Amino acid sequence: MARKAVKLTVATRRAMWGWVFVLPALIYFAVFSFYPIFNALWLSLHTKNPLSLRPPRFVGLRNYIDLLHSTSFWNSWKATGLFTLGTAIPLVVLSLLLATIIVSRLNFRRFFQLAFYAPAVIPSVVAAAVWLLLLDPRGIANQWVNFVLGLSGVDHKWLANPEMVRFSTTIVYLWEKLGFFTIIFIAGLGGIPQSVREAAHVDGAGGWQLYRYVTLPLLKPTTLLVSVMAMIFCMRTFATQYLFTQAGAPRESINVVTLGIYTTGIRDLQLGLANAMSIVLLVVMLVLSVLQFRLSGREG
Amino acid sequence: MFNRLARVLALLLAAIVVGGSAVAQTEIVYWTHEDPNRTALETELIARFEADYPQYKVVRVTNPTDQMAQLILTAFSANRGPDIFNMDIPNEYPYIVNGRVAPVNPAAAGYIDEQSIYDAYLPGTLDPVTYEGELYGLPLEVTNWSIYLNMNVFRDAGLDPLTDYPRTWEQLMDVAEKLTVRDGEIITRRGFDFRYPYYLNFMPSMAAQLGGKLIGDDGKSAIVGDEAWLRVLQYFKDWGPTGKNLGAPTYKAARSIFNFDNNDIGMMESGQYQAARILNDNPGFLPGEGWMVVPFPQWEDAVADVAEAYYGHYWMVNAQASKEKQQAAWTLLGYFASHADEFFQRVAVLQPTQDLLASDMFKNAPYSSVFMGDLAKAPVIYYDENSPQVLQVLKDSVEAVMLQGKDPADVLKTMREGVERALRGEY
Repeated sequence: MARKAVKLTVATRRAMWGWVFVLPALIYFAVFSFYPIFNALWLSLHTKNPLSLRPPRFVGLRNYIDLLHSTSFWNSWKATGLFTLGTAIPLVVLSLLLATIIVSRLNFRRFFQLAFYAPAVIPSVVAAAVWLLLLDPRGIANQWVNFVLGLSGVDHKWLANPEMVRFSTTIVYLWEKLGFFTIIFIAGLGGIPQSVREAAHVDGAGGWQLYRYVTLPLLKPTTLLVSVMAMIFCMRTFATQYLFTQAGAPRESINVVTLGIYTTGIRDLQLGLANAMSIVLLVVMLVLSVLQFRLSGREG
Repeated sequence: MFNRLARVLALLLAAIVVGGSAVAQTEIVYWTHEDPNRTALETELIARFEADYPQYKVVRVTNPTDQMAQLILTAFSANRGPDIFNMDIPNEYPYIVNGRVAPVNPAAAGYIDEQSIYDAYLPGTLDPVTYEGELYGLPLEVTNWSIYLNMNVFRDAGLDPLTDYPRTWEQLMDVAEKLTVRDGEIITRRGFDFRYPYYLNFMPSMAAQLGGKLIGDDGKSAIVGDEAWLRVLQYFKDWGPTGKNLGAPTYKAARSIFNFDNNDIGMMESGQYQAARILNDNPGFLPGEGWMVVPFPQWEDAVADVAEAYYGHYWMVNAQASKEKQQAAWTLLGYFASHADEFFQRVAVLQPTQDLLASDMFKNAPYSSVFMGDLAKAPVIYYDENSPQVLQVLKDSVEAVMLQGKDPADVLKTMREGVERALRGEY
């Protein structure tokens, strides 16, 4: 009996090709993102010492309950919250400002894009190591600030004072990520149709009015993207805090959640607890991201 | 034609079999920390070992010292640990307790039995790797720190290093103040600075001199002896930027700048191996002329004569390695251990064999007597499954008084709670 050829519609064929193209990315995310997330969730319900050959022991929600009662865990959330607030907001504002300045310039636009983006390609660990030299008591940071303020021999304790070390991590992170978000804003500004600006201009809108009532509203999707990404990036910060504490900076004020996850898993050998902390961090990031999208949608 | 073809095939087959058996070697992988002097020596020793034992091939991998613990833990947690590794004992001990390392194979290591290994070493130095009656490691180095002193810095400050060196903690602070040079608040030359963050090496000893203990006799209580620990915490508070501003953990490590004699550090803590590193980094900086070593200070009113704790890096063998690899590993480590004299001569690390300690080479080495004098009074460093957490608590406590200016009495309370929590295995 001759097999009857199955006739596919154009839409089905397109959908199939769509799946073909998406499949590599799906496999990648399944292996390197979704599997680790589910594995972390599973491990968070167990106790497991990475050195022990015994299988993980199921403890239900005990790790999560332990976290709720841990002052160290809540302190690390305080450090993460302060860092995120103190870094993500300036990051969004400054990158928008820089993007606007760069786009408004006719000359050297490429140069500025390159100059601001350069730190983004430097690995975080290298960036933190370079900043450690700058922030050393005898480093350039003290010399420069003293020169600007007309002081002599003042140690601003960039790494020694708990408040200053928090400020130092913010500076490093801003320096590192500013160019990356500026480029995103530049792309967003480039996507605003020139005709809309011209129409507003014809209607009599001045420079600030054009920016306030035309550019900023049309830039809203980009601003939302940048703010969500900046928040997630800040909550995931690790390398700077890790290297600073290794270099002798006091831990308490920069003991962010990711650093807590590292020390709990690697130093304290409590993988279950460390994974529970990771899951809590993931959930908080998800909830805050959804909230941001919702609030932004409502405003729109 | 067929016969000729068959002969050629048979010859080929034979060549493959013979060739295959000629290269059938047991390969062992050895992870260790960076030390240029030791790398040169061990590379030579491995070449000689491979010539003597052609059935073995050794792959030696060096890793940054500060990343060793993390790299080895990651490898072992994935059941992909190296066949041989070394770390400091507080980090190694959990591997013994969790059954991840194999007991020493005395025969493979060239000893008659386990007792003969104990007999070959200075009594007590194998205790940290003895667990439930079995021996789990051979010492790559057993180290205690004394005080290295830059004689040029002393002379520059108008002091005579031979007579004015500090004997007590009180004198250390006074002498350090005389040696310290500042530009306003910024220290440009430190008189002395501690070896941060290795607080387990010196803090318990400082407290012990005053009758304090890190861990109580019951094994559950911690930071025993309030008065002793308060004195220690107050000392660190006085030392730091909120006190006399003599040094801090955020300055460049004293040990890493000492060798270059750049008039930026007067004294620092280190082991005998530093002598080889000074020679390597700065051959013109000579013992007795440029630098000297003095004993670990005591408090003026010390009730016990205690020196800085000694620690060890021990070679260990992965229990998951095949029997052949374990055999090969212990053979190599026994070979290394039989060259303790070369390790001392070229790397200045002490593998405390009775033979080496009795040798003229050791006795005549610069300041051996100072190190041995301190070693005789040194407790072993605190090591247990929870020692990394205990170290973290001490670090946090010193930073609290030194950098945040907190009251030692308040810090003492949190320090005790933190160490006792670590002892209970709580987060």
